[in-house]
Amino acid sequence: MAFPLLSLIVFMPAAGAAVLMFLRSDDAVRWTALGVTVLDLALCIAMLAGFDTTTHEMQFTETRPWVPALGITYALGIDGISALFVFLTALLGWICVLASWVAIDRKVKEFMVSLLAMQALMLGVFCALDLFLFYVFWEAMLIPMYVIIGVWGGDGRVYAAFKFFLYTLAGSLLFLIGVIVLYFHGGETFDIRALTAQDLPFRVQSWLFFAFLIAFAVKVPMVPVHTWLPDAHVQAPTAGSIILAGVLLKMGAYGFLRFSLPMLPEASLYYSTLMLSLSALAIVYGGLLALAQDDLKKLVAYSSISHMGFVTLGIFTLNLRGLEGGILQMFNHGVTTGALFLFVGLIYERTHTRSIADYGGLMKAAPVYTAFLALFTLSSMALPGTNSFVGELLVLSGAFAANLAVGAAAVLGALLGAAYLLGMYRKVALGPASIGVRFKIRDVNARELVAILPLAVFVLWVGLYPKPFLNIIGPSVRHLLTQVHSNGGGQ
Amino acid sequence: MTAATLFQSILASLPEIVVVTGACILLILGQLVPKGQGYFLVWASAATVLVAALATLLLAGEVRPAYSGMFIADRFAVFFKMVFYLSTILTFLLSRKYAEIEGIALSEYYVLLLFALSGMMIVASATDLLSIYVGLELMALSTYVLTGFLRKERRSNEAALKYVVLGGVSTGIFLYGVSLIYGITGTTQLDAMAAAVTGDPLDPGLLLAVVFIVAGLVFKVGAVPFHMWVPDVYEGAPTTITAFMSVGPKAAGFAVILRVFLNPLVAASDAWIIVAVIAVVTMALGSFVALVQDNFKRLLAYSSIAHAGFALFGVVAGGADGIAGVMLYLLIYAFMNLGIFGIVIMMRNGDFSGEVIEDYAGFAKSHRGLALLMLLYLFSLAGIPPTAGFFAKFYVLVALVERGFVMLAVIAVLLSAVAAYFYIRIVMVIYMREPERAFEPALTPSVRATLALTAAGTIGIGLFPAWFLRLAQSSVFGG
Repeated sequence: MAFPLLSLIVFMPAAGAAVLMFLRSDDAVRWTALGVTVLDLALCIAMLAGFDTTTHEMQFTETRPWVPALGITYALGIDGISALFVFLTALLGWICVLASWVAIDRKVKEFMVSLLAMQALMLGVFCALDLFLFYVFWEAMLIPMYVIIGVWGGDGRVYAAFKFFLYTLAGSLLFLIGVIVLYFHGGETFDIRALTAQDLPFRVQSWLFFAFLIAFAVKVPMVPVHTWLPDAHVQAPTAGSIILAGVLLKMGAYGFLRFSLPMLPEASLYYSTLMLSLSALAIVYGGLLALAQDDLKKLVAYSSISHMGFVTLGIFTLNLRGLEGGILQMFNHGVTTGALFLFVGLIYERTHTRSIADYGGLMKAAPVYTAFLALFTLSSMALPGTNSFVGELLVLSGAFAANLAVGAAAVLGALLGAAYLLGMYRKVALGPASIGVRFKIRDVNARELVAILPLAVFVLWVGLYPKPFLNIIGPSVRHLLTQVHSNGGGQ
Repeated sequence: MTAATLFQSILASLPEIVVVTGACILLILGQLVPKGQGYFLVWASAATVLVAALATLLLAGEVRPAYSGMFIADRFAVFFKMVFYLSTILTFLLSRKYAEIEGIALSEYYVLLLFALSGMMIVASATDLLSIYVGLELMALSTYVLTGFLRKERRSNEAALKYVVLGGVSTGIFLYGVSLIYGITGTTQLDAMAAAVTGDPLDPGLLLAVVFIVAGLVFKVGAVPFHMWVPDVYEGAPTTITAFMSVGPKAAGFAVILRVFLNPLVAASDAWIIVAVIAVVTMALGSFVALVQDNFKRLLAYSSIAHAGFALFGVVAGGADGIAGVMLYLLIYAFMNLGIFGIVIMMRNGDFSGEVIEDYAGFAKSHRGLALLMLLYLFSLAGIPPTAGFFAKFYVLVALVERGFVMLAVIAVLLSAVAAYFYIRIVMVIYMREPERAFEPALTPSVRATLALTAAGTIGIGLFPAWFLRLAQSSVFGG
């Protein structure tokens, strides 16, 4: 058996968390957590260096029996789609540690343990090739995330943590039943590759599609099951928000890509119009809600709903451009929105207010901060030259090919995005200094800059030269499309 | 009965004989041991259980029917006996300090536990309605007394009285069902019953008999509509006994239910519909009523009702996977429930009762390790992976879906989402509140050992369920 690189990547943060338990000083905890996450990123880069971009097959696969009596295996492997998100998770991991460096000042050890456990589980979700294993990782994430929001969150943290926990739990329990039904229809196996090759009757596919939809729609989140997101985001500590927006929301979309589309192609085709409409609704509704927000974090949270609408829109166009755009947009959203939450966190640490009305004229006080904020704001509204432009353009061209009305609604959503993001930037950065922040605000320091720069690099890199990223996902996306259209009865 | 068959019968029931004999000896010895030497009783009782466990394992190689078809030592019985040994030994370890604090460290306490254990063991091995009755009563009478062991507390006395009266009624109902069965089939042996019925399995007389037997057995596991005693008895009894009752006698009740219900006669009479309704209602009631409890012991009582409901879903599913599902569920439940009870018992120190959930506010701040353990047990009870509680539920769901009961599986998971709420509410109190007072848990080495063992089981079975699953599957009778 080859070197178990993926197991190492997945379980290194978990091992790091175990080590943290024995450390005494807060500083040792912080540095160890940083060391582990940086090393994990290095391993991910090594993994990408050895990644073969010419095939859609699963790579770096590992298989070991786990519960043979039920056909459960411990199987890991990645294709182009998951590789991108494994990398994204590792990229945001150490940024989360840096973002919590001084923001978390009590129970530092417990926080870092939860953070590292969270990272291990998220990586596990993207690497799992066994449906049972996937579910274990998927569901176990609730524990550390619940603790992160509930212990280190804001004033309404308990309510937010409960809401997050119960929404996602209720959603994923139906998914569990779906998984078991699939297990018996698919020849008593949990192997994702074997299940993908099944041709299930349409009736079964329909039921499973909706069972899966509930779980994934809650995670994405799609309107109307999005209401946990603003609460969770507003109350979570900065690192929690980055994880939520950067990685957790991607898991719902990843679920569609990994399970709904290839395993239930007929149902996916049949219900694609419904999904497109729901996505368009999320884009416009999320945008309108964001327009009305005064709280910075809430604004970014609602913009996430709108942006994730673009992702699901791209996925359910079920054509090449739409899918590629949707997946790329998942990555972009992770980078850009992760950065925006980081920025909200940075300024909140200084002023302890998130109300937009309290800000103004920040440009004079913190020029570096506002310059980077401008970059990420523009990226979020998909200005040409930034990452989201590439993604949104692909999604929109896919959407217009699939459904004219939905495409038009998406364009409206993009316009709304420009409105609320530019409005936010104008009120925060430009104009006269407001009463709330008249005192001297410290600009970003070196530690914060180190966290910001890599994200800025990816904003421009994907924006100016997206080819390497599209190359990684390309073969897998094309394979996915043939699976959908050949098993689903053609377009 | 020849000498050879008598010897075979004695050999088959050797573990029961060991426990009963040990209990009798300890009853006498207990009067001779000077005060302050209480630990001797604990270790002697634990040693008795260990010897019985050893005998059980040594004899586990083959199926041994005994006492003219009233008793059998098969793998099914061995599995349940292991669960009983486990829960009894852990109860001994938890009782050491607690009994001293409560002033109930008498030899009778341990002896009665041993008698209850022997009753449960007989139940697990019984293959005749009468030997089932003998085992159930031995178990029940011992627990009645143990429930009222806090003689000076009204709550405890009241609980014991309630338990005796209701238990007596349920026994009466059970016996009435047995007499009906005997009238119709002319036998009380489980195997012979099915063979004796030649006519319609839906004969109303038979159905009536089955309903009576169901009622009697459902009382033992605390399922709706015979659950009323559970919260009061659990709250009033000494916490160690509550822990024991929620695991041991409950598992014994399930052992009988499995033996009786999966008997061809009962299986043919559509009794599963009754069980399915009971399972749904039990789980719903346990989950919803637990939401509003402030007393930890009452909350755990309703939680145990809800868990009984979930395990009953495995009975509904039936078949090899259903039976193995129930068995695995009970084993895992023993670990996690004794774990959480271990914490509650440990909190009882000085004037601190540790019975109100609010007592645990800010517990994580002063006792990181113990709070983490509580988190583990609570998430396991809620059924969140990677803990064992998840796998227990998962396997029952697999059995349900396998038999085509998808709708029941959906109901089961939705109700367990409701149940998750009150478990994580406790996590919230532990982690997200500020402590109001200092904690001084009675953390003795034996409590530590219990917590370590239960934690290892809760996380270990969750991560590596394969061996335990195979054990449960190979212990299913007739499969």
